[in-house]
Amino acid sequence: MEQREFVKEIRNCRRRLNLAGFLRKLVTALTIGAAAGILFQAASFVIPLYYAGSYAVLALVLALIAAAVTAYVKRTGMEQAALVMDSFGFDERIVTAYGNLDKEGAFVALQRADAMGQLQAHRDKIRITLLPPWKRTGVPAGLLAVLLVLALVPSEMKERAEELHRVREDAKEKVQEIEEVVEALEQLDQAEELTPEQQALLQEMIESLQASQEEYRQLSSDEMMRAAAEKLEYRYENMGSQLAGLAQSLQNGAAVSSVTAESMQALAEKMQEMGSAQLAKGNAGQSGNGGQNGQGGQSGQDGSNGGSGQNGSGGQPAQSGQSAQSGQPAQSGQSGQSGQNGDGGQSGQNGSSGQGDGSGQNGSGRGTGTASTPHDYVSIPNDIADSGNLTGNAVDHDASEYFHAQNGLSWEGTHMSHEAVIGHYEQNAYEGIAAGKYPSGMEEVIKEYFSNFD
Amino acid sequence: MSEWVNGGLQDPVYMAQRIAACEREVQKGIIGQREIIRQVMLAMLTGGNVLLEGMPGLGKTRLVSTIGKVFDLSFKRIQFTPDLMPSDVTGTNIIIRNEQGSAFSFERGPIFANLILADEINRATPKTQSALLEAMQEHTVTVGNDSHALEEPFFVLATQNPIENEGTYPLPEAQLDRFMFKILVRFPGREELKGIVALTEGSQEPEITKQMDSRGLMAARALVNQIPIADAVMDYLLDIVMDTHAGNPYIREGASPRAAQALIRAARAKAFLEGRFNVSFQDVKETAFPVLRHRIILNFDAVSEGISEDDVIEKILEENARL
Repeated sequence: MEQREFVKEIRNCRRRLNLAGFLRKLVTALTIGAAAGILFQAASFVIPLYYAGSYAVLALVLALIAAAVTAYVKRTGMEQAALVMDSFGFDERIVTAYGNLDKEGAFVALQRADAMGQLQAHRDKIRITLLPPWKRTGVPAGLLAVLLVLALVPSEMKERAEELHRVREDAKEKVQEIEEVVEALEQLDQAEELTPEQQALLQEMIESLQASQEEYRQLSSDEMMRAAAEKLEYRYENMGSQLAGLAQSLQNGAAVSSVTAESMQALAEKMQEMGSAQLAKGNAGQSGNGGQNGQGGQSGQDGSNGGSGQNGSGGQPAQSGQSAQSGQPAQSGQSGQSGQNGDGGQSGQNGSSGQGDGSGQNGSGRGTGTASTPHDYVSIPNDIADSGNLTGNAVDHDASEYFHAQNGLSWEGTHMSHEAVIGHYEQNAYEGIAAGKYPSGMEEVIKEYFSNFD
Repeated sequence: MSEWVNGGLQDPVYMAQRIAACEREVQKGIIGQREIIRQVMLAMLTGGNVLLEGMPGLGKTRLVSTIGKVFDLSFKRIQFTPDLMPSDVTGTNIIIRNEQGSAFSFERGPIFANLILADEINRATPKTQSALLEAMQEHTVTVGNDSHALEEPFFVLATQNPIENEGTYPLPEAQLDRFMFKILVRFPGREELKGIVALTEGSQEPEITKQMDSRGLMAARALVNQIPIADAVMDYLLDIVMDTHAGNPYIREGASPRAAQALIRAARAKAFLEGRFNVSFQDVKETAFPVLRHRIILNFDAVSEGISEDDVIEKILEENARL
């Protein structure tokens, strides 16, 4: 055997040892990675862990990388390979010869020749198995199978995790969107032409949007998402109309920069658009329940003395049977007032959903308006109507469905105007004062509180 | 290889075969005790001294005399007793009167031989024991102002009885360290005993023939010193010696650097005796017991737990096991 061939033999052995070492570490890594993956998957059955699958894959990948790195760092050297070869009955001949390859001397040459001769004669004794025992490889295989099964088995918690993830992603977008609007409002707020009242109004809008932002940050379900979206939509539309009004008033003012007014008008339009988009996105299919809270419904035809118009807000007395005109901003959602001489009020143009009915002496009036004004009535759901101090139409006490009216949320059941509710409370408060229910000295405070509403 | 004359004293292969033949010849005269014979042969090959510990009548003297015959070495036996004086061992200057007048002349003691059997060495006083120190280490004897070189090869094979300790003088550590091996001679098994009885009480003693002379032994020793040791094996050997020191819970004093030297030489000799030209882990492992057992001093914990030196060495070897 030549010296070159001798070294080649050791190198081949080293290669096999390194491969075997890598496979051993791979099996260990797969076992650890699969075990970690199982933990993640098992956890996803108990807590909402949307990324359980990704974490499991990541654990496996990290374990594999660790195996590869460890195998490289701890790779077998030539001398170690020679030692392993010696363990097959060569009595350290090979490692001694390899260590003295660069040395000269009769005895060293004799030893080298002895080692090479032994290696040539008993080469077949060296057996380095590449694959670990099947018992060791079976463990990671079993764990991987369990991992796969756990990943495929559906569970409520997994669905919940998906929902939560979706909500958070959407919320993140909304928070960003609101942030941009807030920034735009803050810029407007810096304009010197604005009066303190106008600035306060803008500040209120900012705070209102920041409240929405906070709400979005704390969302944890589709239900909450829908509610938040409805609130935001309401806020957008409300702010849009307020900004439009503000822009109009600024344009009328002589000393106001046209740039500010135009910016404000643009923002108002944008917010109204965003409100509509929000509506479409968050509450598709619900607005069909409108028809109440009609705002700005004007002129039911020939409606006279329209009484008991339900939920018509701002429905003005129907006038002489003219066609309903376009809805104007809602005001003080009150019951529709009596129309005069009207009948067959037609839908107002440009109105959406909101309707107001009124029956008059000589006919009935009906007006329909847009939902661009604040929510100006109180919903009393069926299931709490007639309970305690709240009174309403308790036809049945089943749970009410809520629905989206043009200007906000409503519940099935009775609807009362704010004034009626305040009046109701005020009446109770005065009865309480008369009955001496309150501590002395508080009577005046209560009276003053309610008189402020007036 | 080419620089060696085949079949000559410089030919390692030939010399290894001759040494193996010597071992076989010694085994003809001693029944059983193969391990003892092997270890004594190793000491012969490395020039080390041997302390044999065992009960009387186990064939220690016979072993030494047989080795003397096989290697054609001069053999002297010194029975150590409490009244033995150093000069009884080394020799002394005496006055010689002749025609020219009187003069001091050095009269050689029994130590002037190739092979010395110092029987029951622990019965002599420390003063007499120390007379051996110089001879064992330096291979010289100094009497008065004159140093006298001992004839090479020089080996001391001392014996001591593990019982009957009354009136004995245990060898000091410094002197123990000068013995390369401490060999425990154990009682033979039944079959071995039967063979011994048949051999010694029979009508015909086995004929022991000379296999090698002192020149050959010295040449073999020179070859042994050239045997290469791989780094891994050297690390193993040093780890073993180091583990007799710090951290070992049963050792009060560990092995000296001389122990490491002795272990290297012994391992080389064993490889040579087996016809190999490199040292293996197994060589180190097998020679560790006779090299280390008299060089470590156990602490109270070991003594109280009944742990012997060999148990401690066994544990150290287990902890340092390779592959």
